[in-house]
Amino acid sequence: MEFPAALFPSYFGTGPPREEGGPSPVAGWGERGQVLEGGPGRRQVQPAFVPRRGATGERWEAADAAAVPVLLPSAGCWIPSPAPQDILYRSGLCRKLRAGKSGATLDFARQLGHFFVDHPEDAFGSLGRLLHKNFYLGNAKLKRPARNSTIRMTALVEDINRLEARRGCPRQHLASRLRWFSHLCRDWLFEVPLGLLADCLHEELTQQWSNLLFDDSLTGGALAWLPSEDGGTPVGRLLHPGGQAMNHLYFQDVVLEELPHARGSPAQFELSGRVRQVAAARVDGQDFVGVRSDYHCGVWRVPGKTGAAPTPLQVIRTDVPASCLTVSPHLPGELSVCTQSGTIYLWSVETGLQQLHHDPQTMFFRDHSPWRWSDFTSHPRVLSCADRTGLQCLDARAPKRCHFDLFKVGEEAGCQQGERVVLPMYLGRAHPSQYLVTTQSSVYVLDERLPLVPVLKWAHMMKAPPLFAHLMPGKPGRSHKVLLGASQTQELLLFQYRDGFWGVSSGGSQSACQLAGTPQKLHSIAGCLQHLPTQLPHRHHLLQQRLAAPAAGLAATLHEDGPHKSMLIFQLSEAGDIFCQRLTHKTAQPPVPPSRDEATTPSPAVPSPAAALQYRRWLRALSRACREPPRHTWPPSLSQRRLFTRRDLEGPAGPSSLQKQMRQRLRQTMQEGGCIQHWESLALQPPPLPQTLEPAAGPDPLSARLTAAWAGDWEQWWEERTSFSVAQRQQALRDRRRRQKRAQGRRSLSASFTSSLTYQSELSELSDGGPSLLSPSHPHILSQEGSPPAGSPPVRFPPASPVPDEALLSSQSLRCRGIPKERRKTLRDYLSVWAEGPPEPPEPPGSQASQLCIPSSQSQLSSASQPLRKRPRMGF
Amino acid sequence: SPNEHKLNFKKSKEACLSYIQDALLQKQWKRAAEFLTCYVESLEKDYSREHIGPSEMIWRIGTEILWHHSQSSMKEFNCFMEQMKTLGVKRYLKVCLEHVFHLLCNGQIDEAYQNLSLAESWRFGEQTAIQDKEMKLIQAYRGLLDYCSWSKQKNILLEHGEDGFSDLAAEQEMHGYFRKAAVNLKEIIKIPGVWDEFVKCYVDLLEFYGDHNEARQVLNEYAYNSKFPANPNAHVYLYQFLKRQGESKKSLISALKILHDIVPSHELMIDFNTMLQKSKKRKKRRLGLEVIFAALDYAGWKENAKAWSCLAKQVKQIVISEKHLDWIQQEWNSRKDWWPAFHFSRYLAKRNWQENTSLSYEKALVAGILLGKDCKYFKYVSHQGCKAQLKRFRMLKKFVNRHNPVYLRISG
Repeated sequence: MEFPAALFPSYFGTGPPREEGGPSPVAGWGERGQVLEGGPGRRQVQPAFVPRRGATGERWEAADAAAVPVLLPSAGCWIPSPAPQDILYRSGLCRKLRAGKSGATLDFARQLGHFFVDHPEDAFGSLGRLLHKNFYLGNAKLKRPARNSTIRMTALVEDINRLEARRGCPRQHLASRLRWFSHLCRDWLFEVPLGLLADCLHEELTQQWSNLLFDDSLTGGALAWLPSEDGGTPVGRLLHPGGQAMNHLYFQDVVLEELPHARGSPAQFELSGRVRQVAAARVDGQDFVGVRSDYHCGVWRVPGKTGAAPTPLQVIRTDVPASCLTVSPHLPGELSVCTQSGTIYLWSVETGLQQLHHDPQTMFFRDHSPWRWSDFTSHPRVLSCADRTGLQCLDARAPKRCHFDLFKVGEEAGCQQGERVVLPMYLGRAHPSQYLVTTQSSVYVLDERLPLVPVLKWAHMMKAPPLFAHLMPGKPGRSHKVLLGASQTQELLLFQYRDGFWGVSSGGSQSACQLAGTPQKLHSIAGCLQHLPTQLPHRHHLLQQRLAAPAAGLAATLHEDGPHKSMLIFQLSEAGDIFCQRLTHKTAQPPVPPSRDEATTPSPAVPSPAAALQYRRWLRALSRACREPPRHTWPPSLSQRRLFTRRDLEGPAGPSSLQKQMRQRLRQTMQEGGCIQHWESLALQPPPLPQTLEPAAGPDPLSARLTAAWAGDWEQWWEERTSFSVAQRQQALRDRRRRQKRAQGRRSLSASFTSSLTYQSELSELSDGGPSLLSPSHPHILSQEGSPPAGSPPVRFPPASPVPDEALLSSQSLRCRGIPKERRKTLRDYLSVWAEGPPEPPEPPGSQASQLCIPSSQSQLSSASQPLRKRPRMGF
Repeated sequence: SPNEHKLNFKKSKEACLSYIQDALLQKQWKRAAEFLTCYVESLEKDYSREHIGPSEMIWRIGTEILWHHSQSSMKEFNCFMEQMKTLGVKRYLKVCLEHVFHLLCNGQIDEAYQNLSLAESWRFGEQTAIQDKEMKLIQAYRGLLDYCSWSKQKNILLEHGEDGFSDLAAEQEMHGYFRKAAVNLKEIIKIPGVWDEFVKCYVDLLEFYGDHNEARQVLNEYAYNSKFPANPNAHVYLYQFLKRQGESKKSLISALKILHDIVPSHELMIDFNTMLQKSKKRKKRRLGLEVIFAALDYAGWKENAKAWSCLAKQVKQIVISEKHLDWIQQEWNSRKDWWPAFHFSRYLAKRNWQENTSLSYEKALVAGILLGKDCKYFKYVSHQGCKAQLKRFRMLKKFVNRHNPVYLRISG
């Protein structure tokens, strides 16, 4: 590629940037920059001039009203990353204080509190075990012998609660009791010394906060598009991360039709870290894909043929998080890796890692950011390395000796004060020696052959720094298209530049770089919300949250279908959603049509039917995927079959004659529309008045009885009412307790305390069970001689109750009952065994019951619920 | 309260600006124009201390809209620009310059010249550094336009001169243009920067009037002053000047040597290589080999058939003469771990053969010598060539087979 015969005029200064001011909302408009005398005009009478900015570009128009989802959301709900309100201190007082000062206040105390509550074992484990006998959390008075060695902590807890309630109150003063307690035990109570813990937590909090302000770990983006070699059908492969932790890598074949859609199931790899960046380059007809997570980088090879399976090649592990991974467009299996310690490696699959550069300091001036970047240049052995202050090029064969500065944040490039490098990118596919550098306010195109002086500079006016960029090279004489993407705001901007304005027709001489056309804003993912079907308010809110998730990647492809050219742009969000939009190319119209500007109509106002259908499908899949798994929403259910033998459950063959009679009467009364009270006065033997065992807590006895009668259970209800039945039930219960004790065998109960508690609860359940016929399974279980009607199989009964519900098992409720932590597990175990009932029938494997008793404190992602892995697992 | 009023005003100003921005980014020029008429009110209470104030914003947005708006005309544009010039004193020169650029791009050279002259006479208080720079640019562009007029006049006179006429008045006029152009152009090229256009014009003027020493000095200064950026064009202009002057090979080579040092991938490296290869001195020929190897390191040269034929020619010469095989060996040493994959893969053999047979011939020759007759690239291309019954490929095969021991010496 020839060097331009003449460049646009510009001043060249050295030193720090002189221009003040931050990014301005309109800085990129209305400027021609400079002009240059155009070549073909030389021989003409009038010289012709061409501007640096403002040349005509290609016209690309959005084909649809908004971006459309490409893939259906995968199972498992997205866990949003922390929002500012999660880690910032929120209170009126603090806001007032903050108004004066700049910066935010991190809610350190709340986070520390969360840690103590969420990880009590790690925070107080050993001393908790030692002291639990001496701390009493119950409400009851302590008895004499215990009082000598036990402190009642209830008051302290009350004080703490009161403190919590008064949070942010300016008049709050510490309760002396709390102060006393904290003085007393600050030094020895904590498992990890408090100072150390606080330091770590504070560090983590500031890290999280700075990530919220600007997360550079996503630089480069985690989405890649591999076009397919065979030209026939327009297909390609989309590489994207997925899964709840974004730690699965998918290679999905996508067919580009009106709306791109997935074909077949994707090749999938499980990695042991969140995928931060996916980089790809094509060398010799094969794609090489580099994947970066914090501590691991991996490389895959994907043959150009469609349907060929990707092959994992190599993985490296870094001690310090890697900040960059780029794939060489020149040599197969070469990559460059940067770590946050300031080290840059050339990584070859064949020969391994070669350290090129190590410098924890930034290059041109001091900047605190540990972010480093590296990319390839037009010389396969020369790599660029970048930090926030600029770019340098190093020769891998002699990195210490051979290097030159390519870009400096300074007067050389006419930067503004405070400008920092955000993303450098080698533009080799458009021009072998050009480079793109984005900062938070401008984009620069650099030529390696003329270092330090940008051949193009333009203020991009984006609200957030562009972390992603994608190049679509144009054919000779046509403009190159560059997409810039921001993470937090999901902004997408398309601009065009040209590196040869004299055109092929006039000799094809290389000429200076020009910005072509005006920049164009593209649809963001969040923009499609208004086109989605109306949702319930809370769903709408969730949807809004999901669609507004920060962008995590950007990919695009140009697709030519005869005369129709279109551009497909894929955007990935942190929630793992991939949305796509199509731009269609409009051929240049006659120079001045009647309405030149209105011809560039805004994109259609409503989505096309196909898009609308896709929205509905996506929404349906989303609501299915995000529905809470049943065990979280429903109380655990238990099949009766597992508690009783078949014989136990066997009732008489049919309803007794009395029952039949009663039912007939009932039906008759209903048909007649008669008053139901009268049926008692029939010729039947009048039943004795029911004897209430408990003051009516539920419905009154009459309506309870009617309900029972309506369900056909009247007789049974009656039997329960009788005292005989109560005695029998008590007997049955005792029998069962004995059986259970036998079944548990050697399982030791460390304290009679727990057993007595369960016993009590059983008894209280028993006494509660009397009138509550609306949940009649309890009487059924006990009255074995009762005759359940044939029409109602036992499974139809609502699930209930000898099973201790989740609430009982949750550590919170146990704590409320004053049960020390170390005993809670025992109690839970005991209760769970009790819940499982007699062991006579073999337990069906993987039945729901086995999940019942997972203590809620362990309710993290259980590996059992993960789908079985099918694909090989890399060493991530 | 008045305070709140100010705040609300500020807020609505910001909202208005964001609407405009949105419209501009979606190419809705009419909508943007309507919002802009509202935004003009923001000039009323301009308390902002931001470095781009409302007046500059209006200028930038208005210009952008007028470029694209269907109903805008040049007259309207000029009118708007005149208003904008009076609106912001600090940015007067910048606006003038941009106005001139627009006129130039629309072919209104005379209007542009008038505007430049006007702007040049503008004075307001003490000039800031930026204004100083802008003023210099204005003068330089005026110089450029003067040069254009000079050039036009010159061509007319030259045509007339052929007819045997001599028009004294026209000649005087031309000299007048020269003086005006020379003064202004001379000024700007003293300041560090990229002034390709201005330097070229100035040198053209000087050469016409026979002031070769000044021209040489200017070009030397432009190329070798360390305060200037390392602009390859500066060296190219110097080289072209020296060539025009019929300078000795030695000085041409030294000019190109420097260009080679700063941009080994410059397209002039082919000329440089040819020049060096012709030289009788061993050192120069050695340099020629270095130059062509270095050029072919770059991705942009990968498919440059001319460069490959230069390399093939020189390598063949060396192999036949069996002298200086160590040159090849030394060049090859730093490349043998990556050139095979970069240049001589089987994939490339296939593609080069399909797309450019002569390129694949030259490359196959180099590959055969550097990597031996078993190299994938050579094997594929020579096989295809023989299959296609091309004579030179058969010769190539023979040549490489005969000289296979060279490969062993190079790689050993």
